[in-house]
This record gives sequence, C-alpha cells and structure tokens, in this order.
Amino acid sequence: MSTFLQLLFSSLESGSVYALAALGIIIIFRTSRMTNFAQGSLGMVNAFVATFIYIYTGITPIIAALLGMVSALILGIIVDLVIMRRAKKVSPVSKQIITFGLIMLLLGLAPMIFGTSPLSFPRFIIKGAFTIGGASVTYNALFNIIVGLTIMLLLFYFLQKTKWGLAVRATASNEVTAQLMGVPTKTVTMGAWAVAAALGTLAALMLAPAITVNVSMMDNVQVNALIACVLGGFQTFYGPVIGAYVIGFTRNMLTYYISSTWGGAILYILFLVFIVFRPNGIIGKKRIKKV
Amino acid sequence: MKQLLKNPYSQFALFIILMALAPTLKQLGLLNSSTVIILGTVMFYSIVGIGLNVLLGYSGLISLGTAGFMGLGSYLSAYCTQDLGLSFFPSLIISVTVPLVIGLIIGLISLRIEGYYLAIATLGISEILRQVFAEMEFVTGGFSGKNAGYPQLFGIIKLNRQMTYILIAAFLLAILIFTYNFIKSRTGRALLTMRGSEAAAQAMGINLLKYKLIAFATATLYAGIGGVLYVHFIRFSYPSGWNLTLSLQILACIVIGGMRTISGPVFGAFVVFGVPELILKRLPVIGSIDGLAYIFTGVLIIVVILFYPNGLIYLGNDLQSLFRKKRVKNNG
Repeated sequence: MSTFLQLLFSSLESGSVYALAALGIIIIFRTSRMTNFAQGSLGMVNAFVATFIYIYTGITPIIAALLGMVSALILGIIVDLVIMRRAKKVSPVSKQIITFGLIMLLLGLAPMIFGTSPLSFPRFIIKGAFTIGGASVTYNALFNIIVGLTIMLLLFYFLQKTKWGLAVRATASNEVTAQLMGVPTKTVTMGAWAVAAALGTLAALMLAPAITVNVSMMDNVQVNALIACVLGGFQTFYGPVIGAYVIGFTRNMLTYYISSTWGGAILYILFLVFIVFRPNGIIGKKRIKKV
Repeated sequence: MKQLLKNPYSQFALFIILMALAPTLKQLGLLNSSTVIILGTVMFYSIVGIGLNVLLGYSGLISLGTAGFMGLGSYLSAYCTQDLGLSFFPSLIISVTVPLVIGLIIGLISLRIEGYYLAIATLGISEILRQVFAEMEFVTGGFSGKNAGYPQLFGIIKLNRQMTYILIAAFLLAILIFTYNFIKSRTGRALLTMRGSEAAAQAMGINLLKYKLIAFATATLYAGIGGVLYVHFIRFSYPSGWNLTLSLQILACIVIGGMRTISGPVFGAFVVFGVPELILKRLPVIGSIDGLAYIFTGVLIIVVILFYPNGLIYLGNDLQSLFRKKRVKNNG
C-alpha cells in the first residue's frame, strides 16, 4: 500500500509536469489550429534563462522561475509576431513544419547562448518531507503538485468566467466569425503563445532538479504531452490535462510493476492501440468532416 | 543534345555520373576524403528524403519516425552481415523488409486517425525503436553501438570505400528513376488527388487504404535502404544518432528543396547535410560556433515555408524568368 501511495504521489508530480506542457500545446492548438511541437524547446530555452538568473544573482529559485516565465512570455510574443502571424494562410501541415523549424532553431541557439554543459537548478523547497500512509513525500513534490493544479484551475476559471476567456473560446470555435464579432483574434493568438511558453517553462523548471537543465531535457516531456493531448482529445481544454495525469500514472505503474526498461515503450504501444479504437481520445467528440 | 538534357532520365544519369566522379577527383588530389564522405552522406539521406517526400509531399502525411526506420535498417544489416555472415544483397532484403512491415502497420493505424495525430503517433514509434536499439544488446550492441564493414557482394567481391560510394550513387540513380516513373503513373496521380481532398478522392473511386499504405511503404522502404547504405558506408551505428533531430533534418531536406518534386529532396539534402559541413564549418569566426548548422536549417525551414513554399529547387527557374522579364522591359 505504501509503495502504491508513493507511486501515486510521484505520478501526480510527473502528471503535473506533463499537464502544464500539454495545456500549452492545447491552448495554441485551439487558437491557431497548429500542433506545437516546439513547446518543449521553448520551455528548455527559458529554463536556461531562469537558471542563469539563479546562478548569477543568487535569488531564490521561485523568483528566478518567475523571471524565467516572464522571459518565456516575451519569447512567445516574439515567436507569434515574427513567425506565426505571417503563417495565417499556410496549410496545417506546413504550420506543423514551421514548429519543427522552430525546434531546430532553438536547439541551435541554446548551446550558442548558454554553453553546452548541463546546469543544475535547485528544488523550489530545498528540504523537508512528510510521511503519509507509509509513503514519504517531499514538500517540493507537494508544492509542485499544488502549483500545477492551482495554475490549471486559474486558467480554466479564466477561460470560462472572464471576458477574455470568452474571446479565447470564441477564437477557438471559429476564428473568422470571432473576428467579425470584434474579438481581437490576433491578440488572443499572441497571448496563447506567450502563456504556452510560460507553462512550458514552469514544467521544465519543475523537472529540472531531477535531470539538470540541458538541451534535451524536455524531449521526453514533449512526447508525453503530445500523447496526452491525443489521449484527452484536441476538442476540449481540459481533456489533455486529464490525459496528462493518466499518462503520468500509467507510466509510473508500468515502469514499477512490469519493467523499468520497457515501461515507456509499453506505454507508447498501449497508446497506439488506444488511438486505433478511440481516435478522438477519451472525451473527444467526433468531428464531422464537411466537404 | 539539348533534347537529351531536357529528358529527366538523362538529367538523373548526368547528375549521378558527376557525383560518381568524386572518388576519382579525390585520387587526383582535387577533393579531400572528408568531402567524399560528406557527398556519400548527402546521397543516402537523399534516398531517405525522396521516400519521405512521397509521404509528405505527395500524400500530405507527416511522419517523424524516419530516423527510427533508418536506424532499424542499419542495425539489421550490421547484424546480418557481421553476426550471421550474410552477403550484402540478402542482408539488404531482410533489413528493408522489417521496416516495411512496420510501415504498413502504421499505415493501417493512420487510416483511423486525423492528419495531425499521425506525426505524434510516429513520434511514439520512433521512441519505441530507440528503446529497442539501446536495450536489445545481442542485435544492436546497446549504447556502445554496432560496427559493420564495407559491403561484400555475392560473398566474393569485397568493396572498399570508393566502390561503396559508387554503389550508393547507383542506388540513388535507381531510386530516382523508379520514383519518377512511380509518381508519373496512376499511383502518383491518386496520391496527389488524396492530398487535395480525401473525400473527393474517395468519391472518384480511389481506395484510400491502398494508397496510404503504398505511401507509407515507400517512405519506410527508402528509409530502410538509406539505413543499410549508411551502416556500410559510415561502418558504425549507435542509438543516440537515430533521434528526432535526424528525422527533422530529413524533413527539412524536403521542405527546403521542394515538396512534390523528385530532385527537391536531393537538392535539400545538399543544403541540409552538405552546406553546414562543407561551407559553414570552414567560415572564419562563426564557423566554430556550436549549433550553427541547426540554426541554419531551422531558419531555412521557416523562411522557405513562409516566403518560398515551393522550395528552393525553383530558385533557378524563378531567377531566370525574373531576368527575362527585366530584359523584355528594357527592350520595350
């Protein structure tokens, strides 16, 4: 039982990381019809920024993380202004390819600016742990879980209850109509990129203490976040979040109870089998194609 | 003569003859051996690119599993020749059949899911393959990688590096001609219709399943061939080489060179794999910066998609017509 609880808490923690990244992907998908494969790379670059701020000024990791997220907001806005705004008329496949180009660009820029050696970023809460039902949970893990959930709840509140959230939902449902109704869709899309980059950065920094800050730190998260989006369905904002926690939980269970080396591979195979039977995801509705 | 130059087959042959001259030029001292290796690299990545173009350009489906399939081909061929003692062609057949079968299975899956899911699904498959490369040590040699020799044809003729280079050139020629014919046939037209609108294609009696499977099969088959040529030319294969970045670079070849053209991916392979090694790295000051090749490729992808969506292969034609227009204006 204590092992199970332990696994549950670590699943919640890794699920939060995946969920934050997945939320970024879905926000961009819903507002600009584009699967953002560069979500992880955006997070990685800004995790480097936060780590540099932490190392050179010595402020607390939380402030450094917030500053990293601010730089992510700026980077997201730049990406939208410089690249994505010009890509309105490009086909969906080409839009995906643009994000591939963005990955390569960031992959080349990061070692140029920040050097090739991996850096370490500390935990937000450096020490302390408590036991619950025989499972030992660090305060940092609890902090990560709570921060992840809080941010998600705030975002959902924003989407459902505020005027700007309505603008985002209107853009998501039909961009042209939204524009005709006076919704500033350009600003909405720009905001989506900024928020997505910031969420990716937070995910990267939650992960950083365990795996150091390096160029390939987000590869795994990127794959899992995309899979979470497919699993939850691209039609709702909350689907991918549920998908992310499911992925985090399943992955931990598979690696612990079945095989530590093949757990990840089994997860991907299960995922492939799943999309054959439910191609629209857990909560996805079938979209009727109009010709 | 002029007509001969306009014929695509003779163009392909001429290009390959030019490429095949490289080892001779090296012996004459005009090229150094690293340039020959890079040209060989460009050629087998061209083969992979041409295959992926059938999938991406002609049928509009994105696969991110290319590097994984290439790796699979390379490991299998290394295993067949080194551990089982097979000669080159039997090992080639085995090493391309396995990726082909997996490609067909993904083709079946792809029919169930929408376009943008497919890149994600193939990403998952390449992750599985990478895990397999790292863990199945008796075939792949695990993290330390796997060695292979230059190809041995029919069990008797042992090739050296120059001859392997010529062999790759011969493969590229065969693939260029085969793909050209294939695209100009009924199949190619069906794929193009499918890309335009699946519903319209279906209404015209095009069997979506069949043609999607053909597109996937071609892409994985060529990736397998590319992997086999890779391992017998570079003579080494290790798991971290077959990552997402390589898949993206091959995708970049097609996008930069030109989708829906036969020679586009070849041109793109020169730009993506040749230019950084041959030109960028030799530039003063900026040449030594890490990651310059990635930035170059990334920026090119974005710029080409935004401003030149047909690909750089048309650059020559467009410049020519621009020049002609100017001349006409000046005359008038």
